[in-house]
Amino acid sequence: MHEILKIEGLSAGYGPLRVLHEIDFSVQEGERIGLVGLNGHGKSTLMRSVMSLVGWQNGSIRFKGQEIGGARSTGAGRRTHAIVQLGVALTPQGDAIFPGMTVAQHLDCGAHSKLAWRQRAQRRDAVMDIFPPLRKLESALVGTLSGGERRMVSVGRALMTEASLYLIDEPSLGLAPKISKAVLEALFALPKAGKAMVIAEQNVALLAGRVDRMVGMHAGRLRGDVGHVALS
Amino acid sequence: MSTVTLIHGLNLAAIYGLMAIGISILWSSVGMINMAHGATFAASGYAAWQVSLIAQPLIAAWLGTGLDASIAMGATMIASGLGAGAIFGGLIFLLAYLPIHEKANFAVRSLIVTLAINLATVQLLLYFFGPRQRALPKIFGLGRTEILGIPIRNDQLGTIVATALLMLVVVIWLKRSRKGLEITAMMQNPEGAVLSGISVRWTALPVTMLTGALAGLAAILLSQTVFVSPTAGALPLIKGLTIALLGGLGSIPGAIMGAILIGFLEAIVGSISFLGQRYVLFSQFLFIITVLIIRPRGLGGLLDQTRESRNA
Repeated sequence: MHEILKIEGLSAGYGPLRVLHEIDFSVQEGERIGLVGLNGHGKSTLMRSVMSLVGWQNGSIRFKGQEIGGARSTGAGRRTHAIVQLGVALTPQGDAIFPGMTVAQHLDCGAHSKLAWRQRAQRRDAVMDIFPPLRKLESALVGTLSGGERRMVSVGRALMTEASLYLIDEPSLGLAPKISKAVLEALFALPKAGKAMVIAEQNVALLAGRVDRMVGMHAGRLRGDVGHVALS
Repeated sequence: MSTVTLIHGLNLAAIYGLMAIGISILWSSVGMINMAHGATFAASGYAAWQVSLIAQPLIAAWLGTGLDASIAMGATMIASGLGAGAIFGGLIFLLAYLPIHEKANFAVRSLIVTLAINLATVQLLLYFFGPRQRALPKIFGLGRTEILGIPIRNDQLGTIVATALLMLVVVIWLKRSRKGLEITAMMQNPEGAVLSGISVRWTALPVTMLTGALAGLAAILLSQTVFVSPTAGALPLIKGLTIALLGGLGSIPGAIMGAILIGFLEAIVGSISFLGQRYVLFSQFLFIITVLIIRPRGLGGLLDQTRESRNA
């Protein structure tokens, strides 16, 4: 199997605070991984450091063999757009939505690269097939949507990009159980060939049996591969 | 309200609107209050004046003095104003954005840097051109045109029409084009923008150039009624800035509405015989302060919370 992401010795944090302690982690092509752990133990920081969005970080992060990590002297987010263009998509906690844009415009933002821009109508259509409720909201302002619809828009924007690695941070956060299940079902239904997905989640039961691997996280360290977990 | 006051108000609203929209867009997308907007205004005025010195004899030799010649002259003036403004905007990007945009407290730092650029530019203009006022050629002609039975001075008509057209183009461009979508995304949520693959760093360049070009156009249009001088940018800067605040920084409709209100206020106060011009600034600031006390977000500000996350 082909390795999509390989993290070695990654430490990261904000100012004097160290959140991640020398993490080693890898993602294979075609894998769907659940990253589980309590609040504040570094799940989001791990995802954000892949995108070069944390305060400071060092350690190697290789995406398809290309180094995207390392210590950086520039501010957070300087390299993020290049990493996105390489093919990593993150849906952050809190969705990072554009409140004054319509759903269609918002999705177009995901297809912002020159190539994708020409096919944005088809791609939008594909996303609407994944999240049917968005179809009738196409010209509604994102700021007026409900939490579940916003999450769909945010995930949809990530799906619009030409990504082969999707990092989904807490897709169920703040949603009613029924809606969070719908969002997760849509994610599980995505084709896996040539792609990989990491889902950070506090609610293990939502992922149980649906992911290839579960990785626990505690106090900034990965606590072993839990492997396939089936709760019933 | 007489029609003369009405037209005068619209004319002022157009010019202030150009300044205010520039300041507003720049603040919400790049996160910088551009105190050098006045310098852009003055420098564009001088650039256009220099171009007019060179272009006038050339155009006269080529097209004579007919209508063709004045249209060519007008187009040259507007193009040179827009161009000079865009170049100056790019300069501000290089000096006040690129070196410091990742440092802590960028909002305050850039305010100070752009203020320094403003002062330095005014002094440089004084050094090279002296305090003498210069007149730009009247690009819309001197006469009056009658529209719906109302005689309107050509320069005012030209200003209103040119501004309305340009603003329409800018608003449509921001909504429809890919670059415009990038800028809008950056205005509404910088983190969401980088996660969509938009480089905040390099999207700032077209924004500074666009807002510079708007200030350049404002300079050409205002110079149809007043002269070009090194300090000509101060008042438009102050008015643009306060109107941008009145409209709620970051809101284009708010800035347009604010510009119209302030433009009419100026025209009306100026035309009331016992108040007159000397009460114009007083009444404007009183109005703006009152509005901001009642509605601190300004007339249309809706993006405050997405803006704050950035410099925290």
